[in-house]
Amino acid sequence: MKALIRAGLLLATASAGLWAAESFETSVRPVLQQRCVMCHGEAIANAGVRLDTLSGDLAGDRRAAETWHDVLNALNRGEMPPRGAPALSDDERRAVVDWVTEELRRTAAARRANGGEVALRRLNRVEYQNTLRDLLGLDVDYVRNLPPDERSREGFANNGAALRMSALQLEYYLQAARSGLARAIVEGPAPPVFAHHSEETVQDKDANILWSNRLGRNGAFVARVPEFPDEGEFVLRIRARAELPTPDSAYPRMEVTLGYRADTQTPSKRVAVVDVEGGAAQTFEFRGRIEEFPLQSRTQSKYPGLLVWARNVYSDGKPAPEGRKVQEQADGKTVTHWKWDEDPTFPSIVVESFDFKAPVYVSWPPEHHRRLVPATPASPAEEGSAARAALRGFLPRAYRRPLRDEDVATSMRYFELLRPSAGSFERTLRDVFAMALVSPDFLYQVETRPNDHKGLSDHELASRLSYFLWSTTPDDELRALADAGRLHQPEVLRAETVRLLRDDRSRAFVEQFCDGWLDLNGVDRVAVNPTYFPDFDPTLKADMRQETRSLFAEVLRNDLSALTLLRADFTMLNESLARHYGLRGPRGGAFERVALDGKRPGGLLGQGSVLLANSTGEDSHPIERGVWVRRALLDDPPPPPPPAVPNLDASEDSELLPLKVQLERHRDSAACAQCHRSIDPWGVALEGLDAVGLVRDTILRRSGEREERHPVDAAAVLPDGTHVDGVNDLIDYLHDQRPNDFARALTAKLLSYALGRSLELDDEQEVDALTERFAEGGYRLPHLITMIVAGDPFQGR
Amino acid sequence: MEAMAAGAEAAPKRFCAVYFPYGIVQRKEGTEFAEWNWFPEGEGLDFRFRRSHAALEPLRDELTMLGGLSHPKGRKMGGHDTADNWLTGAELKEGHLDNTISLDQLLADRFGEQTRFSSLTLSTDGGVGEPTRASTLSFSRTGQPIPAENKPRLVFDRLFGVNSDSLSRQRQQLRNSGSMLDLVLEHSRSLRGQLGQVDQRKLDEYLTAVRQIELRVERSERWLDVPKPTVDASGLHLDADDSTPRELMQTMYDLLFLAFQTDSTRYATYQLGNMNGATSIAGKFPQLLGMADSMHTLAHDARKGDAGAEPLGRWTGFLTEQLAYFLRRLRETNEGDGSLLDNTIVLFGSSNSQTHVNENYPLVLAGGQAAGLRHGRYLRFGDEVPLANLFVTLLQRCGAESEGFADSSGELSAILA
Repeated sequence: MKALIRAGLLLATASAGLWAAESFETSVRPVLQQRCVMCHGEAIANAGVRLDTLSGDLAGDRRAAETWHDVLNALNRGEMPPRGAPALSDDERRAVVDWVTEELRRTAAARRANGGEVALRRLNRVEYQNTLRDLLGLDVDYVRNLPPDERSREGFANNGAALRMSALQLEYYLQAARSGLARAIVEGPAPPVFAHHSEETVQDKDANILWSNRLGRNGAFVARVPEFPDEGEFVLRIRARAELPTPDSAYPRMEVTLGYRADTQTPSKRVAVVDVEGGAAQTFEFRGRIEEFPLQSRTQSKYPGLLVWARNVYSDGKPAPEGRKVQEQADGKTVTHWKWDEDPTFPSIVVESFDFKAPVYVSWPPEHHRRLVPATPASPAEEGSAARAALRGFLPRAYRRPLRDEDVATSMRYFELLRPSAGSFERTLRDVFAMALVSPDFLYQVETRPNDHKGLSDHELASRLSYFLWSTTPDDELRALADAGRLHQPEVLRAETVRLLRDDRSRAFVEQFCDGWLDLNGVDRVAVNPTYFPDFDPTLKADMRQETRSLFAEVLRNDLSALTLLRADFTMLNESLARHYGLRGPRGGAFERVALDGKRPGGLLGQGSVLLANSTGEDSHPIERGVWVRRALLDDPPPPPPPAVPNLDASEDSELLPLKVQLERHRDSAACAQCHRSIDPWGVALEGLDAVGLVRDTILRRSGEREERHPVDAAAVLPDGTHVDGVNDLIDYLHDQRPNDFARALTAKLLSYALGRSLELDDEQEVDALTERFAEGGYRLPHLITMIVAGDPFQGR
Repeated sequence: MEAMAAGAEAAPKRFCAVYFPYGIVQRKEGTEFAEWNWFPEGEGLDFRFRRSHAALEPLRDELTMLGGLSHPKGRKMGGHDTADNWLTGAELKEGHLDNTISLDQLLADRFGEQTRFSSLTLSTDGGVGEPTRASTLSFSRTGQPIPAENKPRLVFDRLFGVNSDSLSRQRQQLRNSGSMLDLVLEHSRSLRGQLGQVDQRKLDEYLTAVRQIELRVERSERWLDVPKPTVDASGLHLDADDSTPRELMQTMYDLLFLAFQTDSTRYATYQLGNMNGATSIAGKFPQLLGMADSMHTLAHDARKGDAGAEPLGRWTGFLTEQLAYFLRRLRETNEGDGSLLDNTIVLFGSSNSQTHVNENYPLVLAGGQAAGLRHGRYLRFGDEVPLANLFVTLLQRCGAESEGFADSSGELSAILA
């Protein structure tokens, strides 16, 4: 019966195809020939598009289908034919638009009947780190050696097709698993605990460092711990208070670093940074794993002991004064030593005491060990059953699915093979667990395709949801719901989506999604030129990235309209970024909501991260900013530059001109005009913001010794003919005229991230439907996320 | 040294390729800005280096400047797409992004068994990047990208790190790893049948990786009795990263040198920045060295006008200084009757002459005189000569019988003595 229906469907599709081919030849091709081929044909193929040879068989030629989709968009947006060329008549337009729309719809339907394609998705670095952390119960750095992940063309690092596997990658996975398990599963009696208490910093009069309990513009408090273990968790407790120059001044920031290796000159590594707020002294507690820090060799004679440093890293932009050598008379001798001037205007820290303890554990063996090894065998005869018990607990969590018979059997074969030479039960078990951690069941999000049912199993759904919103493995609650077969029930799934979003772990989603969507890592690609921006502190780059993530998080957590991302009267700042922007903001390092009062543009187009990432480090880069706006905010990336761009000659003085003027010269050249007319205006409108994101009236240009200032000219004509002058005009235009294009872009990006794959033509209707409901519901992100999770693509239907 | 232990046998022939993106200066001859051009003035034996090659002058007799060569298939590809096929000659286009084997890997497949490591793949960005924006120059027999290492310390540990366990314990551990991988393979095969077609292809990639590690484990076992060479690590900036480009590049060159000197491997590639202007962490290197712009912008500006010639020329000058440093180290080390450089063929260059232009590749061919190469010349070829012809001759000179590589149309005997 089913076969009959399917055969009928095929017949219907085939005849529809015939009809389409006829209609293409009679009503579409003539329009293309007369109106389009002169610029998109054999002689000239603008934007690399040729409409004279483009196949009309959308179902059979995926590339052609995608080009037709671009054609449809260009017509719908009124971008083609370009200004200056006569417009299409209504009949001509309708002939092409109707035909393309119908063909795309038919193609998408035919594809779905063949089953959508998914790709086995490898855990990326962030997912691998978080997954091992949760699985082994130990928060250490598992990914230090892993090569960087491949990103998809949308910018996401969780795309199954893009993520590769190689021998090198797998070798590092095995290394990471073994070293993680060597710490998670312990053996032997409880190790001795070392503790140290000090109240005064150690002194070293030779060094050009102010060793002091008082940390002002200069100064370092140093504790030397004489005895310490080679590995294990440590806890540091530092009691300190702030001395503020004025009651409302910024808070000083205490950075704690640990370790130092003289032989390799490896500097101490940061444990944490905290704000020291005013008022009474407080005790700050820091934890870490001691083996993750540079430790000097014990045979080293010059620096015995473990060094812990506390410094004040608050910066008001002024450089710390150098020490000067002072000669003083003492006991009739001349003594030379270093002196520093105190600065009473600087917020300072006074360290009152320091405590160190390591290794710390509540019980032995520690909790993480007991979770992995529930029973320790009392005799060799019990080892087999103890190993099986451990595997039955571990493997379902590692594989994120119910146990299959062969899982334990395969592991036990390795256990038995290994046990005689491994030395101990625990060592054997470590390597047996390591084997599971290099299995595809762990390294990939496996979704099997049983023949008898469509859609994901509850456990597969749990993984998708958990990696989407937490970038880690499902927790106990999700697993329990999957075990009970209840997760796929719409109301349960909805409640779980909301729970995951509210949980602190959803920070991973905010970071991963924003970094990919908005290309926030771009700030690290640009080197800010200190001759243009002498006051720019490179640590601001991380603050800028965090500002944008925090803005997204603020909109998400408070269920604000996502259009707030386009236009907002606030942003998220910490003390240093607020100072960079010239705003009054929080007193410490945490990001808080700050009203802008019209002092700078709000929303994504006012973000330092976006503006800096798309700059040259000296000046704005209107092309890159334009490309960014089209890609991130409108999901309409321009085509890549053609293989051979013709040479353009500018005058020798061009260096002294603002980039915008140089661009105009380029645009005057016909060869470049076609594409750049639709790229540059978006960036030109942002000319009132400089390379480091500050509002400006003039543009500074330098060439050798010469220096010129030009007034900002941020007037531009957008491809649809709209005149905008400056960033606020552009923001208003996007917010008021293009809200649905922005919403659609955001929806498409979010769906792509959720699915871990690039979207295809087949997904267009899903994106349209989601966008419509997203808009109807007032553009609320939690609403959109819930709809995505409930939708067919996410559930693998 | 392990190589010397081979006794009367001829010294091994090595190959190393170093790539930089975006291209070089090409201003009109006769203008003052032509002084920043990559290609020399004159031709044949009678040529003069331009300013950005000053560091190569003392090495003039150890190298040949090559002009006019390119991959014909690369000329059809997008302007930024051709780092992927610099050593492969394949054509990559939308929908057909499969690469083919790279020159270094062909040699490694043929002769890699003779050293502890069959090859060494380095780049500034690490990993594999994405098709058409690869951050590696090396591709396997099946066209799979081989991930590049970008952390000097990891490279050093891999090449020269010492395991403090006893030999018998190490042997036991390697055997255990072998058994583990066998079981993983067996277990994974049972999974394969439950997957869709696309997933099966992904799983095959995984299975290939497992088999390759198995081979590496076997190989490590064979090399267990041969102690790893000890090298002097002082002066190496093993913790250099993308914030200190000079130290980073120099240390990578030092590691390449040490790998060759100790005969740990004979084939290596090193990519200095990938062509993803938007993501390469190497893009900012010129600025960190006090120059005006990012790599990509320097190359773009050099096309726009004369004013762009000097900034890009200075950056190229920095790259050739680093190359000269590497070549000098190789030359200062004796091997057999000559130097290490005489037995090492170094190909340095790019697949862009100017940004977005995939023809007339800027190339320097250095070393390898003991393999029959003749130097001290600037050789220019017409665009009817595929770059792959050079690869055929290099393969032959490295001891591999070869009649063709990619789209070669013959050999390039002009480089020979």
